[in-house]
Parts: sequence; C-alpha cells; structure tokens
Amino acid sequence: MAISVVMPALELTQETGKLVAWRKDEGEPVAKGEVLLEVETDKAVVEIEAAADGILAGVKAVAGDIIPVGKTIAWIISPGETPPQEDAPRDPAKTAATVRKQPAQSAPSAAESASRGAKISPKARRLASEHNIDIARVHGTGPDGEILASDILALAESPSKEIRFSGEPKTLSSVARLMAERTTQSWTTVPHFFVLREIDAGPLVQALEKVRASADKNAGVRVTHTDFLVALIARVLLKHPRINSSWAGAGIRPNKDVDIALAMAVDDGVVTGVIQHADRLDLSQIAVQRQGLAERAKAGQLRPADIAGGTFTISNLGMYQVDAFTAIIVPPQAAILAVGSISDRVVPVAGQLAIRPIMALTLSCDHRVVDGARSAQFLADLAEAIRDPAKHVR
Amino acid sequence: MPDTNTREITFAEAVREALAEEMRRDARVFILGEDVAEAGTPFKVLSGLVEEFGTKRVVDTPISEAGFTGLAVGAAMTGLRPVVDIMFGDFITLTMDQMANQAAKVHYMSGGKWRVPMVMRTTLGAARRSAAQHSQSLHAWFSHVPGLKVVLPSTPYDAKGLLKTAIRDENPVVFFEDKMMFKMKGPVPAEEYTIPLGVADVKREGDDITLVATSSMVQVALGAAGLLEEIGVSAEVIDPRTTWPLDEKTLVDSVKKTSRAIVIDEGYGRYGVTAEIAAVIAEGAFHYLDAPVKRMGAMHVPIPFSPPLEDVTLPTERSVFDVARALCNRS
Repeated sequence: MAISVVMPALELTQETGKLVAWRKDEGEPVAKGEVLLEVETDKAVVEIEAAADGILAGVKAVAGDIIPVGKTIAWIISPGETPPQEDAPRDPAKTAATVRKQPAQSAPSAAESASRGAKISPKARRLASEHNIDIARVHGTGPDGEILASDILALAESPSKEIRFSGEPKTLSSVARLMAERTTQSWTTVPHFFVLREIDAGPLVQALEKVRASADKNAGVRVTHTDFLVALIARVLLKHPRINSSWAGAGIRPNKDVDIALAMAVDDGVVTGVIQHADRLDLSQIAVQRQGLAERAKAGQLRPADIAGGTFTISNLGMYQVDAFTAIIVPPQAAILAVGSISDRVVPVAGQLAIRPIMALTLSCDHRVVDGARSAQFLADLAEAIRDPAKHVR
Repeated sequence: MPDTNTREITFAEAVREALAEEMRRDARVFILGEDVAEAGTPFKVLSGLVEEFGTKRVVDTPISEAGFTGLAVGAAMTGLRPVVDIMFGDFITLTMDQMANQAAKVHYMSGGKWRVPMVMRTTLGAARRSAAQHSQSLHAWFSHVPGLKVVLPSTPYDAKGLLKTAIRDENPVVFFEDKMMFKMKGPVPAEEYTIPLGVADVKREGDDITLVATSSMVQVALGAAGLLEEIGVSAEVIDPRTTWPLDEKTLVDSVKKTSRAIVIDEGYGRYGVTAEIAAVIAEGAFHYLDAPVKRMGAMHVPIPFSPPLEDVTLPTERSVFDVARALCNRS
C-alpha cells in the first residue's frame, strides 16, 4: 500500500517547510529509516527518514519549493504499484499549491546567470571546462561579445588574469549552506554597529575556581567561563529588555523570556544551541544544558527544541586565544556578544602598573533596535556583574 | 593524387576516356541517350565513341527520358551495364520513377535476386545562360533516396577514376558533371586507376577553417582559400566527391582541427546537400565548433536567364571569402 511522504512539522508554530534536497531519486528503492529528504525550517536543516520500505514515486516537489506542513509531496509504493493520483484536499487553505520561493531569494547569483546566459561557442565551453575556467569571468571578443575558443586559451595560458579552480565547486552541507544563507542575510540587511569593552576578569576567574571546587559532585559536569557568562548575561538582560528584544520587521518586539543562544563550532560551520530561561537557571543547570547541547551539536543531532527561540547570542572564541572579534547578529535578535580570551595584561591599577587577567567583550547590535548609549549601559552593567559574580549567581 | 609528370587533359576527355576504357574492358557496357552517337552530346563529351564502338553500344534514343531510363533499368537487371546520358540535370525529373522507385529498390525488393548495375550520367551547374530549365543542380534529389549512389567529381582526375568505379559498381549510380567544367584541364595519369566511392579528398590543407565544397564549388572554394591566405587565414578545402556514400569521418576530423566550417554546394541551400553535411559536422564535431556551421548554395529562386541576375544566385570566391572572414572573426 502506498505510504504518503508529507512535509513534516518540526516546530509547533511551523506553517511551511522548504524542501532542500531529495536524497533519493524518483523510482529509487528506499528502506525504512534511510534519509529520504532534507527540509529546512527557519532554524535548521533536518534530515527526514523514510517511514517505510518501498520505491519513491509520485514526487511532486522539487528542491527549493516551500511547502505547507502536512502536504503530500511524494509516495513510497510497492513494486508494480502506482502512486495515488491526488492527495485529497482536506483543508483547501492548508493544501494550497506549492509556493515557489520568492525570486529575490532564489535568484541565481550574478556569476551563475552570466555563465548560463553568456554567448559562448561549443568549443570554448569545452575548453573552459577542461581548463577549469569560470566563463562568467571571461570577456568574449567574438560577435556580440561571444566567448570564443581563443578567449579561453588566452586565459589558460596566462593564469594571472583568471582565478583557477582546483575542481568543481563543492556542494555545501546543510549546516554550511544554512550558515552561508543566514549570515549573508544578516550582514546585508541588519545595520550592525559594534561596542568594545575590556573587562578585568579576575573576579570571574576566582569565582569559577571556587564553584569548580564545590560544584563538581553535584552536577557531574565542569562549569566553564561560558556558563558563568550565560548566567550573568541572562540576569543583566532582565534589566535591559531592549537588548533582549527582536526586530519584527516594522517595529521592536520585546521578548518575554531570556533564552541565551550559544554559538558552537561543528565540522562544517557553526550552529547555535539555546538555553531556555537562562535567567532562572543556576550555574550547574546551565552547565548541564550547555554540555548536552555541545554533544548533540558535535554529533549532528540537535533537536528542533535545541535550536528554537534564542533572544541573545554569545559567541566565545576565548579558547582559541582570540583577543577580540566582532560577530554577526542572528536575526531577529538585537545583539550578539563576542567574547575573547582571558589574557594577562599590564594595566594601571590605582596609579600603579599591575598584571590583571583581561577579557575583551564586543557587542554587535542591530541599530534599528539598540543605540550606542543603550549598548554601553548594558556593557557597563555586565562589567559590574562580572566584578562580583557571586552576588548574582550561585 | 597524380604525380607531377602526368599529362593534362580536359574534364570532358577524362570522362570520355573512362567510358572508352570500361567499354573495351567489359562488352556489357553501353551508352544510351539523346544525341550521344554522331553528335557526341551538345557538350562534345562523347565525341569519337560511336566510331570505335558503333551504334549498337552508343545508342541514340528518342527524346523520352522516362522511356530510355526504364529501358536501362531493365537492361541492367538482365545482365548489361548501361550508362544513361541525361543531357541536362533538369531532365532527371522525368526519370524519377524509374530511378527512385525501380532502380533504387529492385535489389532490395527482389531479396537480392536482381541487381541494377547502371550509371546515369547527367549535368549540373548554372552560369551558362541556359535559363531556369537547364541550369539547376538537383543532385540532392537522388542523394535523398536509399539505394542510389551519387557522385560529384570536381576535377578531370576524379571524374575519370570515379566514373570507372561507378561503371563497375553493382548498384545504380548517378554521376553529376558540372557543364561549365568540361573544358577545365587537369593532370590525369595515362595508366589505369580508379577512385573508391565514399572517400573524400582534401583539396587543400589548412588550419583555421574548413570549406567543404562539391563539384563546381570546389574551384570556388579553392579561390576563396587563396584570398583568405592573403589575410592570414589558413583554409582547408575538402571535397566529399560522393554525397552517398558520404565520408563523414574526413569531414568531422577536419572541422575538429579547424573549429569552423562552411559547406558550399551549387544545389539549393534549403533542404539541400549543404544542410545534410552541415548537420553531420554539427553532430560529429559539436564540442569543437567555435562558430556556427554555415551553408552556401544556390539562391532559393528559379535560375534567371539574365546574366547579371544569374550570377548573383551563386556562391562566388568573394562571397565565400566574406563569410569565412566573418566566421574567423577577422574584420
């Protein structure tokens, strides 16, 4: 009996999903549990497994389609069986025809359209392929700018004029593709500004040593600087609802909860795991959640709940000995904090030279939501909290 | 190709020699057609043959192309090897049923029991001020029919070698001679030789563009190649010599080398020999082409009687040169 393949709902509020790729071709046998397709939500790309053994048939959606949740997009059939003709529309509103992605988002890059539209002779096209020359970058000298074999050969003989590629472009993994799309969208649409503050991390280091000495037996996980920062920032954010707000297209939407997202490096890029209600959690609870997220991220098994929400993001490169850096905001959040390493520096203390552990914090803000003064006040309060961590968190 | 010591004879003499040699070699070979005996044809191609072979082997016929072509088909089926003379290529229309429905099909439809080893010699080519009914080049019509072989010699040497092969062939062969070429001289060895059907000849080697030319257009292409050399374009001239069988490999290999091609044939361009050869090149050398394959043929009009008008209907050295220069992106 034919089993339908439907666009799954991966989040409670999800209305549509984007089909990223079919992992099986129409007519190909599939086994139950094999990955059948990739679906992208606002937050992540998720692999969807086949629900039954059979043959993929009646595929009605192609990569890039945005499809209402619950709509049948293909069938898994037995050999010899034909897929049912049409998916009976239960709710006309919900089974509306597949919606194409907006042209602005799916428009091919300039290079792609140039390479598709350029006039080029068959010989020149073959030579370009043989010499790994990107024809989008070739200036044709033939009639109407047609690219001729001589144009390609000229480039092949003078490598300095042209970028030479070592092979075909690599297909991006889901994580890498999502990272590329999201950072491009953020960087090109969100007006970023950056505020940098160096903070004496001495009290933080001491507090951490104290907590580690006493808290190990309770949680079984090692508390880190990051956990401390999550806890402190969550509590400081309660006093700065604007920093904890979202840009809602036409206005600013304050968030009820303080959900701290942590940027975590994985093989193909970066993902963010969210610690919900971080303002209400103590250090060891945060440490347990943070460690769980990190393990699932490394294994590529983040669940929808792990990545949902997030009202403020922390990106910590301190462990890589980075002094300071600027981070790209994760829309619709209003800010992201880039945390550098804690390094001994010579600083003036009460008119004398002193050696102190210094940490650089760089706050990236969406200027539609936050202005310079607000961001400075937030950093000031965060610095104050770091001066006496024990007062704020256990 | 002949060596340099060879004597030079005209195209007409080469054809006459081929016929005479084959008639001496094989008593079954005979000629029939209009004004072939005492008159030796209006082009004097057959002058002297009736004196040597007599009127039983050089047979004047009534003005009835369909009739004597049918007679030849029957003679071929029953053991003779007729060579039919159709004075003007325009008159092949009258022979079409005999050629397309009988000669071309008898071997197949008899399960191989009957053969039609006949040759039809006829003419093509304009520029003789002979008007619309005596100037056409209709070799594409026969090239379209399975079962017929079509030969288009462009030099005295090729004419003699190819005609001898055609006469010895066990199948019907149509042999087109350019009526403007009969007086053209060229080297032809005195000794016996034949040229196989289906083997193209490279008339001139070159690197930048291939000019595929047939029959009357071979000299035009060679002239254009000379003009092109003056602007630094090296043109290769290839003569397929037979439109069927067609030496596709030589054509495709040449264009793979040069990346550009013009096909020049005196037949009409539309649905013509040029179209077929251009398609063969496009299919075989697609990934080597640096420009579209161009076709040049007779203008798609009845050939005018007016000399100035007739002249503009044909490809010339200059027009081939101009098209080649544009294809090679030279201004």
